[in-house]
Amino acid sequence: MIGAILRAQWLSMRSFSMGSKRSGMVVSAIVGAFFYGFWLLGAWGLEEIFASAEDSVWLAVWLPVALLAVMLYWQIAPVVSASLGASLDLKKLLVYPIPHEKLFQVEVLLRLTACVEMLIIVGGIATGVMRNSEVGGGIVAVPRILVVTLLFIILNLLIAAGLRNLMERMLLKRSLREVMVVLLILVSVLPQLLIASKVNPDAVTHYLPAAVYWPWGAAGHLMLGIEWLAATVVLLASIALAYAFSRWQFAISLRFDPASANRRVLALDESQDRLSLLDRACRVPAFLFADPLAAIVEKELRSLLRTPRFRLVFGMSCLFGLLIWTPRVLSGSGGKATSDHFLTMVCVYGLVMLGQVMYMNAFGFDRSAAQAWFSLPVSFTRVIVGKNVAAAWFVITEMLVVVAIALVLPIRKSPVLVAEAVVVTLVSGVYLIAFGNLSSVYFPRALSPEKVTQGGGSRSLNVILVFCFPIALLPVGLAYWARYVFSSDVVFFALLAVAALLGAVLYWIALGSSVEAALVRRERILNELAKSDGPVSIG
Amino acid sequence: MSPAIEVHDLRKVYEGRAAVDDLSLTVPRGSFFGFLGPNGAGKSTTIRMLTGLIPADSGTIDLLGFRLPEQDMEIKKRIGLVPDESLLFDRLTGLEFLEFVGRMYALERTQARRRAQELLELFELGDERRKLIAGYSKGMRKRVAMAASLIHRPELFLMDEPFEGVDAVGARLMKDILLDQVRHGATIFLTSHVLEVVERLCDHVAIINKGKIVREGSMAEMRSGTETLEEVFVREVGAERAFERLEWL
Repeated sequence: MIGAILRAQWLSMRSFSMGSKRSGMVVSAIVGAFFYGFWLLGAWGLEEIFASAEDSVWLAVWLPVALLAVMLYWQIAPVVSASLGASLDLKKLLVYPIPHEKLFQVEVLLRLTACVEMLIIVGGIATGVMRNSEVGGGIVAVPRILVVTLLFIILNLLIAAGLRNLMERMLLKRSLREVMVVLLILVSVLPQLLIASKVNPDAVTHYLPAAVYWPWGAAGHLMLGIEWLAATVVLLASIALAYAFSRWQFAISLRFDPASANRRVLALDESQDRLSLLDRACRVPAFLFADPLAAIVEKELRSLLRTPRFRLVFGMSCLFGLLIWTPRVLSGSGGKATSDHFLTMVCVYGLVMLGQVMYMNAFGFDRSAAQAWFSLPVSFTRVIVGKNVAAAWFVITEMLVVVAIALVLPIRKSPVLVAEAVVVTLVSGVYLIAFGNLSSVYFPRALSPEKVTQGGGSRSLNVILVFCFPIALLPVGLAYWARYVFSSDVVFFALLAVAALLGAVLYWIALGSSVEAALVRRERILNELAKSDGPVSIG
Repeated sequence: MSPAIEVHDLRKVYEGRAAVDDLSLTVPRGSFFGFLGPNGAGKSTTIRMLTGLIPADSGTIDLLGFRLPEQDMEIKKRIGLVPDESLLFDRLTGLEFLEFVGRMYALERTQARRRAQELLELFELGDERRKLIAGYSKGMRKRVAMAASLIHRPELFLMDEPFEGVDAVGARLMKDILLDQVRHGATIFLTSHVLEVVERLCDHVAIINKGKIVREGSMAEMRSGTETLEEVFVREVGAERAFERLEWL
């Protein structure tokens, strides 16, 4: 039965990948090699550290802490990166007489897909501990360490499965979604906040949760062969609790009706006041442009503002950069460069974040309705320009929010710094949107508006983005380089003006190319946008 | 006057298999044309080629005297489309979507809004006009799609299974509207699996099977003698009682 589910998924994925070009797969493999190479390097470093550690007290503190870090990353990173990995699409499977326990087992196993890199890291840590001659038992300790490592992985898989089910449901609730994401972001920047608040490192070390009564502490102690009785009890009890939690969440998800939750969200949109407020905001383009452009921009603004996935990313684009860099600026740990370019960095960071749900995959949320753009009597150039204008509207709004927040923060600010942030973001935006127009027609991918945990683009698009962002930001980088060399703001802004002109030319060329490509590739674009997942939905 | 639809030697191949194989077809203006065929026969592919959503590998398509794809904008202005897959933007309300479509067809905003409101009332969706389309049922979505196809008073309607998922009352309303449009000179080209509907509405019929037209003519020619359209259809597409071969069923 499990085999049948996985086979159905494999067949679905095979039909997806058949459309992708071999060149894209090669680039994808290269980027994958870099990504996993990075984690392998980290695992090797940790292996060396734990293999050569001689102080047993140090090991008893830092091994649990390393396992805690693994656990935090495993549980939080998929949520913060809005990519929870693969999971069962229960709606498609519940109609079959499959025992729920089997579905639960598959769901837990699929959690392996969310954090492969942590398996590598855990492997590195475990190997390091095995190699350490200070750890009692020598070769005899190897089976024990392997078993503990396996139990630690099972613990994480169970917690991750439970959390995923919980998150998926909670993220459907409009009021909770944004709050939860902000909380998760705060957790992820906690170390920086601690640094910014200049907490004594010794004090932090003293309060590190490395004791045996923590699950990661128990796993660490068992690996080291100390306090084994208490550690075994704690670890097994933790796994039992994690299983109960995960099973409980899975049972709730089985009964959960997303359509009903959606209906509540949609019902909120029926509120007269909310609509009229939205109407006012969305009607602004009608004063600036004529139809059909005004109608397209208006449609885009309305649709995106009502798309949970977009709203979430937009909120993150306004806050995430501030949360990351404000502590560094306040503490002075980021240096003068961070302080001087704080606003610019935050604004550009927000611009980049918006890419995958907006300009880099402009037809993603339209899904099969994108065929309207090919059947309505409007030129495709206008369609793309309309989408770009809407994107610019959101980028400008994001900048205004960031600047407004930054103005009340106790950081260095001046009209020149604000102007720099605005100009740099807009110039970078022109380049990114130009690339985005091409990627939208070459690498389209249907995005679920409700599924806030779905990744933004296809694998090929993600690969392209890795190369695209540095190239797009290169002209602005050159302007900064010139300012550094010539120590002149005039040179800097003059080069930014040149970059803007070049960007406009690039935009124009890219627009023409994307329109041409869209018309030639329309069948493939529509097929891509109409695709749905197999029994396992890919996060 | 040129025919509403004139197609010559239309061909579309997918992975070496012809979905539409040298199809030629003429649909006179003012006719109610039923395009029938079993699943996978090539109906939707044909209609998607007629709407310009997918390019033909070879052959010519003329709609209302204009050639595709060269004069696609002239054609798009004059046709109303109800495709099999939804072309509705889920995050707009029914009213906003219809107004948007009207503005795409160069109607003034106020005119588009007025027509949108009237169409929603006509299709009994007035109470749902503030609800996002994402929350509509399948039948309601079909009604909105139908309303959208009417907003600019097209000369030619291309419809792929327009009554699918629509309740009896809604289907009756849609049929009445379509018949009225034909009386006013519009041409309707529709696919449907419900042969009774086609038999009652259409004056011309073509049956496609494995990408080829196997039978074409007026409804009267089709039903020569006492044969129903269903009997003609089953005979032409070669359906058989295959389930009888499965002993366990």
